[in-house]
Amino acid sequence: MPPSSPGSSLPSLTRRQLVRLLAAAGFGAPFASRLVADEAPKGAKTATVPENKVVPPTPRDRYPATLVNGKVIQPQRPLAVLHETDVLVVGGGPAGFAAAVAAARTGAKTTLVERYGYLGGLWTGGLVLLVYPTHATENGVLTKVVRGIGDELLGRIAKFASGATNYNEGRRDPTTDPELTKLVMDEMVAEAGVKMLFHCWVADVVMDGNSVRGVVLESKAGRQAVLAKVVVDASGDGDVFAAAGAEYEQRLHAIGLVHRVGNADRTDLAKLKAAGFKSLGSVEPLASVKWVNLRGPSTDGLDVGELSRLEMEHRRTIWKRVQQLQQTPGGENVFWLQTAPQLGVRITRLLAATKQLTNAEARAYTKFPDTIGVGGTYGSGGKNPGWPIPYGALVPKKVDNVLAAGRCICVDTKLVEDMRLIATCLITGHAAGAAAGLAVQSRCRPRDVAIPQLQQLLRRQGAYLG
Amino acid sequence: MTPSRRIPTLSRRGRKLLRWVALALGVACAWPGRPEGWFSTSLVLPALSPLTALGGATAARSIGIIALLALPGLVLAWAVPRFLCSHLCPVGLLQELVSRLFRRSSRSWRGFPAVGLGLALATLAGALLGYPLFLWLDPFAIFNGALHAWRAPLAVGNLLAGLLLPLLLLVELVWPQLWCRRLCPLGATQDLLRYSRRALIPRPPRGAPATTGARSPARRWFLVACGGAAGAWAARRVQAQPPPLRPPGALAEAEFAGVCVRCGNCAQACPSHIIQPDFAGGLAGLLAPRLTYVSDFCREGCTRCHQVCPSGAIQRLALPEKRRAIIGLAQVDLDPCLMALGRECNACVQACPFEAISVAAGPDGFSSRPLVDPPRCNGCGACEAACPVRPLRAIVVQPAPRGSLAIP
Ligand SMILES: Cc1cc2nc3c(=O)[nH]c(=O)nc-3n(C[C@H](O)[C@H](O)[C@H](O)COP(=O)(O)OP(=O)(O)OC[C@H]3O[C@@H](n4cnc5c(N)ncnc54)[C@H](O)[C@@H]3O)c2cc1C
Repeated sequence: MPPSSPGSSLPSLTRRQLVRLLAAAGFGAPFASRLVADEAPKGAKTATVPENKVVPPTPRDRYPATLVNGKVIQPQRPLAVLHETDVLVVGGGPAGFAAAVAAARTGAKTTLVERYGYLGGLWTGGLVLLVYPTHATENGVLTKVVRGIGDELLGRIAKFASGATNYNEGRRDPTTDPELTKLVMDEMVAEAGVKMLFHCWVADVVMDGNSVRGVVLESKAGRQAVLAKVVVDASGDGDVFAAAGAEYEQRLHAIGLVHRVGNADRTDLAKLKAAGFKSLGSVEPLASVKWVNLRGPSTDGLDVGELSRLEMEHRRTIWKRVQQLQQTPGGENVFWLQTAPQLGVRITRLLAATKQLTNAEARAYTKFPDTIGVGGTYGSGGKNPGWPIPYGALVPKKVDNVLAAGRCICVDTKLVEDMRLIATCLITGHAAGAAAGLAVQSRCRPRDVAIPQLQQLLRRQGAYLG
Repeated sequence: MTPSRRIPTLSRRGRKLLRWVALALGVACAWPGRPEGWFSTSLVLPALSPLTALGGATAARSIGIIALLALPGLVLAWAVPRFLCSHLCPVGLLQELVSRLFRRSSRSWRGFPAVGLGLALATLAGALLGYPLFLWLDPFAIFNGALHAWRAPLAVGNLLAGLLLPLLLLVELVWPQLWCRRLCPLGATQDLLRYSRRALIPRPPRGAPATTGARSPARRWFLVACGGAAGAWAARRVQAQPPPLRPPGALAEAEFAGVCVRCGNCAQACPSHIIQPDFAGGLAGLLAPRLTYVSDFCREGCTRCHQVCPSGAIQRLALPEKRRAIIGLAQVDLDPCLMALGRECNACVQACPFEAISVAAGPDGFSSRPLVDPPRCNGCGACEAACPVRPLRAIVVQPAPRGSLAIP
């Protein structure tokens, strides 16, 4: 039995027991029925409701923070448990998506929480549309390293006429259409039986001693808890493991904002090039649209002041460039289609895991006994072999029941640049999800899963382990 | 008499045995298949040559510790006529073997002029001016060059560099002993040592006239030496401009091109296989080792080429100095550069072991580009090898004046 955490007002109960008790007492019921579609009475959502209809307000417990001696004090309060699950995945980017599908396919009850209203993270919401590196040169042969769930996803997107460029046999590194990418991700998540929670922002964790037992999320319905046996942190910024008190490293990195321009096919590129525009932007499946990357300054992606400043600054910069294009002969027809809904935050927190994968190891193609995937290469013309990724890079040093996936796993300064790419995030996400599912199945902590069994499971799910 | 007169030498059989052992060791020390940790053994044979040591040290105006390896040979050759030929030289032994197996000609070398003496004199005189003209004709270096020529990858430069030994064997068939007796500059160097000994410890009584007509050969050799100096002067003026990339710690191109004995040791020792003999050095630097970063780069933790260079063309630097030794300077071509085109590419920045490349904003205030910091760039080529742009890389190490970076 885990010891009760210090400061608990009910010394005879653990927090988890307390939360359970409160949940059983019906605290969460009214909210749960609002938020989780399949727990609501069947048909309630599909009945036609007249617009602008008045309904009785949703009952809501109020525990506002108060000012006490000039300090803002949050009262101790019970939280409603919205939902209980086996595997909870936080963040619906490429890593979180792959993790959720992988976990659900092991048979674990799986929930995916995303703060925005779509899947794909920076890929679709950040409009970073080029998925790479999907391949490496293994034993002299061009080899797909993104297999299993990631490959299934890319293959399904590529089936649409304007779904993806470059994903035919033997082609690498596709660019996908963001809307179709979201759509196929929705489909695959639903098919796998994942419970999807959009518009929920994970704000904190539920701890039981040293173990994560769930998360606290904020939504229009207020603050609620979701309990889980294992949590996968695919938030990109390590929001979960940081809240859980795991050791991590914080970094500043370039933060940009991607935008798209339209009428790309109605421009005179030769003229634009002569005027000094190197290119209009990067290709997309639709010839009329290009996505335009922006690197931006290196700063703190966890500081809302910085994020707000950059949103406005970048938009101004982008408008200037679009205007320049429009005023240049050959570019008159170009128009500003959109800026990405998500600011391009590249790296913030990196987990301090049981194993830090280094660039030197990746450069030497070091194999690990706990390899859970192989990263692709694009440097040197993609002529290098892939670099094995150890499971240890996803496992926190001390905190239990949480795994990292995607762009916040444990690598050194240089390897960050390979680790954070979409293709690699699909790989680490897949592995983290499968490991979480296996931990639930074997009733053990994620750090204790049997590696051969995990590798066997990953292979069964189609992953490439070298 | 003086003891130096009667040096106890080995019997014929003893000498023979010693030469066989030397041949076996010479092969073993440079054999491409020897264990990794033994890479530096290839140094031994070519470094035993007094010609290489004298010519290299004189031209480089510095004497390295490796030159000490040539000291025993120097002393012994001074004491015993052509000691190295009769006790050590594997090329001579191979020639004798070829002669015995396929003897075709009975032409005598005796009437042939002592070209080798001229080569040795010209080389040493050239060395004074910084370009030892015929150092590459040292048989020990030729021997190693032939052994190294068979390593992968097969390239014209490699093969040509290895062709000298078979050529010498061919000469032996056509004209037995001509090379050894009349052409070999190392043999002639030993003769020169003997002459100097005779000058110092004269055999005829002091004051007695030397052989009549001694003046005319002396003048001839003086003229040959002047020719060597002139040749060196000319060779230093036909350097490739700009000079190609040479291994780290290489002497300035003018000296390097001559001091390098073309033994191929550095190319064979290089774990990255980026060193190749080729034609980029022009006539003066023909078949000298050049660096290309097509598939790999000069590893920041490696000094192997320094450890195997017998002539000092590549200075023997310790790792910290080697890391500062300038090979060239990376330069970015923004036209094909993916980062400048707005792709999420960071390959060169990531690859640089010295944090010499950063990301800078373009003049349009929108694009970004890699920026090389010259005081930090030693031209190791990690960026060039990593650049994904094909067929020509967007970042390429260009020649730069050799020297040492101020920043460690
Ligand atoms: C400007 C830019 C250009 C890039 N270009 C490329 C490129 O060309 N090719 C390439 O392969 N990669 C590129 N990348 C990198 C790549 O897009 C990302 O690193 C990758 O998408 C990371 O995937 P992820 O799943 O780990 O995280 P993310 O994609 O960041 O997804 C995290 C998800 O978690 C959600 N989330 C975060 N916090 C919470 C929370 N507290 N509660 C609930 N949900 C939360 C987010 O909304 C998001 O959906 C680029 C990145 C940037 C910024």
